[in-house]
This record gives sequence, structure tokens and C-alpha cells, in this order.
Amino acid sequence: MSEAIAATPDRIKRLIVESLNLEGMKPEMIEDEAPLFGEGLGLDSVDALELVVALEKEFGIRIKSQEIGREVFSSVSTLSQFIEGRT
Amino acid sequence: MKEPVLLTGLGTIGAWGPGSDRLAEALARGEAPTAEVDRAAGYHLPEGAARAGLVPPGQFGCWLSSGESRRMSPPSKLALAASRMAMRCAGWSGTGEEGTAVVISTAFGPSTNTEILLKQILNEGPEAASPTLFTESVANAPAAQIAIACQATGPSLTVSQREAGPLIALGRAAGELTTGRSPRALAGAVDEMTPLLHALLDRFGALTREEVARPFDRRRSGFLAGEGATVVTLETATGLKERGGRALARLLAWGNAFDPTAPPTGWGTGVEALARGLRKTLSRAGLRPEDVDLVVSGASGSRGGDRLEARVLRSVWGDSPLPPVTAPKAVTGEYGGGVLGAAVLAAAGSPLGATPGFAEPDPELGIAPHDGSPLPLPATVLVTSLAAGGAAAWAVLGRP
Amino acid sequence: MQRDRGSRVVAVSGVGAVCGLGWGVDAVWKGLRAGRAGIGPFRRFDHARHRTHLAAEAGAPPPELARAIPGWGRLSIADRFALFASREAVERAGLSIPLGEEDAGVYFGSSTGGMFESELFFEEFLRDRGGRLSSLASQQVNGPGDAVARHLGVTGPVETLSSACASGALALGAALEAVRSGEVEVAIAGGSDSLCQLTYAGFNALRSVDEVPCRPFRAGRAGMSFGEGAAVLVLEPLERVLARGAEPLAVLAGAGASCDAHHMTAPDPSGKGAAAALSAALADSGLPAEAIDFVNVHGTGTPLNDAAEWQALRQVFGERAAELPLVATKALVGHLLGCSGSLEAVATILCLRHGELHPAPGAGAGADPELPVSLVVDEPLPLPGVRAAVSTSLAFGGSNAALVFSRWMDRTA
Repeated sequence: MSEAIAATPDRIKRLIVESLNLEGMKPEMIEDEAPLFGEGLGLDSVDALELVVALEKEFGIRIKSQEIGREVFSSVSTLSQFIEGRT
Repeated sequence: MKEPVLLTGLGTIGAWGPGSDRLAEALARGEAPTAEVDRAAGYHLPEGAARAGLVPPGQFGCWLSSGESRRMSPPSKLALAASRMAMRCAGWSGTGEEGTAVVISTAFGPSTNTEILLKQILNEGPEAASPTLFTESVANAPAAQIAIACQATGPSLTVSQREAGPLIALGRAAGELTTGRSPRALAGAVDEMTPLLHALLDRFGALTREEVARPFDRRRSGFLAGEGATVVTLETATGLKERGGRALARLLAWGNAFDPTAPPTGWGTGVEALARGLRKTLSRAGLRPEDVDLVVSGASGSRGGDRLEARVLRSVWGDSPLPPVTAPKAVTGEYGGGVLGAAVLAAAGSPLGATPGFAEPDPELGIAPHDGSPLPLPATVLVTSLAAGGAAAWAVLGRP
Repeated sequence: MQRDRGSRVVAVSGVGAVCGLGWGVDAVWKGLRAGRAGIGPFRRFDHARHRTHLAAEAGAPPPELARAIPGWGRLSIADRFALFASREAVERAGLSIPLGEEDAGVYFGSSTGGMFESELFFEEFLRDRGGRLSSLASQQVNGPGDAVARHLGVTGPVETLSSACASGALALGAALEAVRSGEVEVAIAGGSDSLCQLTYAGFNALRSVDEVPCRPFRAGRAGMSFGEGAAVLVLEPLERVLARGAEPLAVLAGAGASCDAHHMTAPDPSGKGAAAALSAALADSGLPAEAIDFVNVHGTGTPLNDAAEWQALRQVFGERAAELPLVATKALVGHLLGCSGSLEAVATILCLRHGELHPAPGAGAGADPELPVSLVVDEPLPLPGVRAAVSTSLAFGGSNAALVFSRWMDRTA
């Protein structure tokens, strides 16, 4: 990985907006700690799985089904920690 | 005596735009709105069909919020928009449809989603498959979205029987009412016409390569591909009276049959089998052929399909003259339930213009579709649809 | 609500089936009765890059089948399954082909039709515009149903329903109505689906698939398994079956359907949509809940589906729900998607006929304390006096269907 890449939270935010087709939302509008599912952005289980596919592709990792849960996916922050632990 | 089934609302969206008023205008003017198909992907044969009846972009705004349509496939959006139009037309609130049945037909299902999914799987690998696209790639996605949107908890069925689907769906939905299983229903059809699907239909030789289809015409060479959604609301007479509404038309009878001599993508020679099915349908309405005031025919410009349609009608009418026959697919294109919309409009008194593209009758068929001259309000309307592959369905509409 | 059910009792006069346990009802029952899961490695397509690697794949067809069916080479696998199962059902019903009945109809369910063959076409077409166009001819979901109608010479109503996992059951409901009302005298009803990459990748993308054979209603269950095949029932008015000296296999006493109207993929956790379909089927059958001796559950093995189904059973069967024997056919044959409702109907009928309920494998999975059910495991459960059963199908998209079968008992014997 020789090119300069954006920080993980920013990449995740971009993926959220793009892969979930969130029209009218800009990545910078998503706060690091804001809840993604249920309240906050109000995403649901299918959105979570869509994000998983995007994350796997973007970061070159495989995410096991057991890892897709409320703790890891609760915010951009928790996701970022999870990803950085895996890459 | 079964409870009469009434059609109380109509919603439709297609190349003619959103709303049954727009469809009525297009039919009255005898105009076939078509657009260039995007052939950039190179699926099309160079000399192949280039136009289709495509839904103009940006039509959904007032019918769907961006939040709810964010993940929907094009057919789900079309079908939901048409459902809401139909419910508004009928005076339904659009929600709280406890026990209401939803019966939608689709010939090809969500084609865009299926195509993208296949490309993901084939080009990037199965791990790239999008769960959102998959969820919305199933044939029953439109029916499911309609049910969620208006909280319709009754039976939810999706019919897939090509060109005969819309009238089969109508009959299935009516059956829910006449058996008392559901108090009311939404019935309709939806299809989307993607460049890939268009190119494949053309490669099968199904499409006209002219700019118009020519139903029943000597020079007809195929149908005009279309897309869109048409939905009607169905209620019992009792239910309608209780809530104080009014109906557009009454569904007097429905029926379907099959020609086992047909190959999977074409038409067969089973005229008698289909004629028997049509006679049965008419007799269910208590009608003889000469009681039919108007035929809204599913003839589309297909060489084999129109021929079979003409033979079936001739077989049933025998030596009696046919009533006026109109072929709205010359305006609406094939797929998306345009013929159902046209039939309801005709039964409700909407004027029918000439059939665009028709100029020379085919002596073998002996049918000249309606020329656009004023017609008296029909008391009975026969709607027909013959499908490639052998299925056939009919419906008879009457005054409310 | 005033119900115009028509007065005719509708009997099942013949059944046919093919699935991962074999071709033919005898082979299928043998596998079901043994509790032998047919879910394992498969070869239909290269699944190395898919997330899971199991399916209950149907083996090769009997060699004489290709000779018996004109145009065999052009048929999709789903078509072939459907033709096999319908021929078996018609033969067992004591009818001949062509049906030659003016009043016969075909009511079929499928979720992907000839999609497997289409995938092969698309691979070539998308790459370099190659591929045989004719392989698309059967691509539509109505391919198998239409192929059956053509082969049997049916001229009456022919309809394919495609409501995901409820298709096969909804098709039977439509057929029931058609025979009851007199619209047809003979209904060929069932479903067919074959393995294909689209659904395999799709359900895996939804993380709904277990890495081991599915464990419906059991602790630690983690998803569904894939299956394929076809199942067909011949439905006729009871009097007609008796009049030709044939023996009814069962009575299709009632059908009910509903929609969760909740979410595109997740079931309504309260189970009320499924309960509504069950209650509607019971009401349609005229039988009370107490008359039901076992339930062939939808039981896919996903955590959410089974939990919601349990709630539905509680609502409908009350205190009996925990003791009511449950038969989980998907544990042995996987999820046949559009065909599952029909295959499970056949399994239900076979259990009624034999007076014993087939088990699910017991090894490797324990009971789930959250779902205190009486799942039949390990050994068949004898139920010599069994009278009636209900089979449920709870689909993706929220469409629910339930069918009530009762045992045919010859009262003149």
C-alpha cells in the first residue's frame, strides 16, 4: 500500500454513503460516535450486510458472520477499531 | 350467487407518464410514446430494434419518498407508485389494509438487479454479491413492498406467466374476494425493460424493428417492448356500499387456458383449446359473443401472436361480426399491464383513438382494429391476452 | 365472513417428487424415514468462492427419463425435475399422459426456473456476446410449469406463482380452489427449483446460510441449507377418485395465506403473520386446531425464522404447541425455495399415509430452551391414529402459506 490513503473512519463513512445509496448525505456528515443502526442513521440488518460486502472489498478482509453484531457495527468508531485490528 | 367484484381505482405508470389520465390521453390520441434504448453496452445487434416504451426518468417523486425507495428495484418503485395512485383514485387511505390481498404479475421480474448480481458473481466473485440487490431481485419484491407500504396483511401472490400474467393476477385477486378470503385486493402487473432484456428479446426475433408496432397489420413484424406498472383496486359491492365509494367497472368474469402445442417462446396452433377457454369465460359472464360491445385485445404486432388471437376470436364469433377491436399495445407496448389499464379506462368510458401503426389489414386475419371514430359507451368489454409459451387469459368488464 | 368454499372435498390422488434424497417418492420417503440428511458437498457449480459449500443436490436422473421426454436436451434442470415429478404423480394417480382432459389445469411454483442455465448463457454472453440463445428459452420462472402443461397436454388454466419460499404452497392453494370450485377436474400442482449461483450467492450475502447442515429449531442453529428438486400432487374431487376405483392418498382440506407486511427479509418476530395464515388454513378446512396431530414446519434453521414460527405455533395451538410433534423436512432435504412448500406437502402426506412422522437428525444439535418444541428427531415417531396435519411456508418478503391435509380413511371398509 504505497499511495496515501485516507484514515479508516473517513473511508468507512464514504463506503456507508456509497454502498447504501444514502442520497443527499455526505460522508463528513456522519459523526464517528453516532449510532448507525436502529436510531441515528436508522440503518437495518440488510444495510449492515451490504456494508460488510463493501468493507470486505475495500479493506481486503473476510468478515465472519459471527463478527457481524451490534458491538462492532454500532458506530463508525467501533467499526474502525475492528477493521484496524484486522488489517 | 357470488358477490360481484368491482374495480374501484386505477393507477398506472409507463412510457405515457404517471397516472391513468396520461394513459387515457395517449390512447385517445393514438400515440405511442417511445424512446431510444441505451445500446452502449453492446448487447444489441447493430441492425436490431432501437426503441422501446420506456418510463421517462424522474416520475416517482410525489409517490415514493427517497427514504423508502432507497433500496428498491425499479419494478418495486413502479409497482408501489401505481398502487398508491390506484388507492388514491379509489379513495383508500393507503395504509391499514388489514386482510387486503396483493396479487402482482411480472413477466421478467427485477431485471436490473438480476443483471447486476450476475455480473458481480461472474466478474468479481460470489463474495461480491450485494444482499440489497438480491433481496430486491426476487419476483415477489414488488408485491412485498406494496404490502409493507400499505400494511396489507392478506394473501400476497406474485404471478409469472408472461403476457397473460396481468389478467391471471386480476382473476386470482378477484377469487380472494368471491371466496371471502379477503375483503379487498390490489391486483396488477409490473415489468421493467432493461437494455439487456431488450437486446435479448430482439435476438429472439420478438420485437419490431420499426418505430411502431402494427397489431393485426399485414406488415406487422413484432411487438414494441414496454415497461411500467398498472394496478387496480378490487372491492365487493357490499364493501363499497359500506364505505360509500364508487366503481370504475365491474369484473364480470375471468378465465385462463393453455395451448400445449406452443414452444416456450412462441405461439402454437391450439386454436380450439384457446377458443374453448374464451367461450367458458364469456359464459361465466352470462354472455354470448354477440353481447360483447368492445374487445380490448392483447394483440401486439407479433406475427404469430396476432394470428393466433385473430383465429381464436374468429373461432368463438363464428360467422357473427366481431365488435370493435382495439389493440392498445400499439400505444402502451408489451409488458407492464398497459392492456389492463386500457381496458378499465375503456369500460369507464374513456375515448379510444386509432391504433397507431395500423394501416393495412392482414387478409389472413380479417381484423381491422378500431379506427378512432367515436364509440358508444360499452356495456361489456372483453379483454384478451395470449402469452408466448402457451398461456392465455381473458377478463370481461362491465358497467359498475 | 361469508365463505363460499364450494362443496367439493378435494383429494390428493397422486404424488411425485425428486430431491437430494433421490428420484421418486419411494426413494424420498426412505431417506426421510431414515432421518438421513441429504445435505453435503455438491457439484452443480464450482462453489470454492462462495461463502458456504453444502447443498442437497439431486443426483443424476434415471436414464430412461431422457428417452421418455421429447426435447429433453433443451430443457432446464428445473424443467426436468418438474417433468419427472409430474409424470410420477400422474402415473400414481392412475391417469395417463396425455391427460386428454379438457378440465385439467397446472398450478406451479418456482423461484428461479431455469436460472442455472441462464447463468451459463450470461457468462458467455456478457463476456463476448456468445452463448446459445435457446438456453434462455426456459429461463423464466414459469418454465417448469409450462413444460409440465405441454408434456401432459393440458389445455385448462396454467399458472406459475413466484412468491419465494411460499410459491409451492400457494400453488397448491390455487389448485385447491380451482378443483373445489369446479374450474378444473384435475389439478397438477407443485413446484420446482434447481440450485443456481444467484440464489446461492444471494442468501450467503444475507448471511442466512449455515456452514453445516441446517438444524431447524435446534440450539446453535445458524442458517438454512440449500436444496433442489420438484414435487407434484394430483388433486381431484374425492368422488372422482373413488369412482375410478383409485385410492385417495390424502385430503387437502384447507389452505390459508397472509403477509407479514413487516420487512423484506426478516420475519415479523411476533409470528402473527404466520399465525394468520395457519388460522386461515384451519378455518378453510373446517377443522379446529385440536384436530391437528403434527405440523410440518417451515423450519429453515435460521435463528429468526424458527423463533417467529414458534411464536406463531403458540398463538394457534396454545398450550398444545410444546407437545405437538413437529416435522422439519428441511433438515434432510434443505430449502427447495419455490418448491419447498410442495415437497413438504408430499412429506406431510407420506407421514399421514404411513402413520409415522419422519425425524430430523438428532446428532450434533440439542434442543433450544427458547423453543420448547417436540421436534421429531433420530427415529420416526409412530402415530398410528394420525388424522390431520398442517404444513407451513413462511417466505422471504413476508408471504405466508399454510396447508391442512387430512388422512383419507375409507369409511366403507
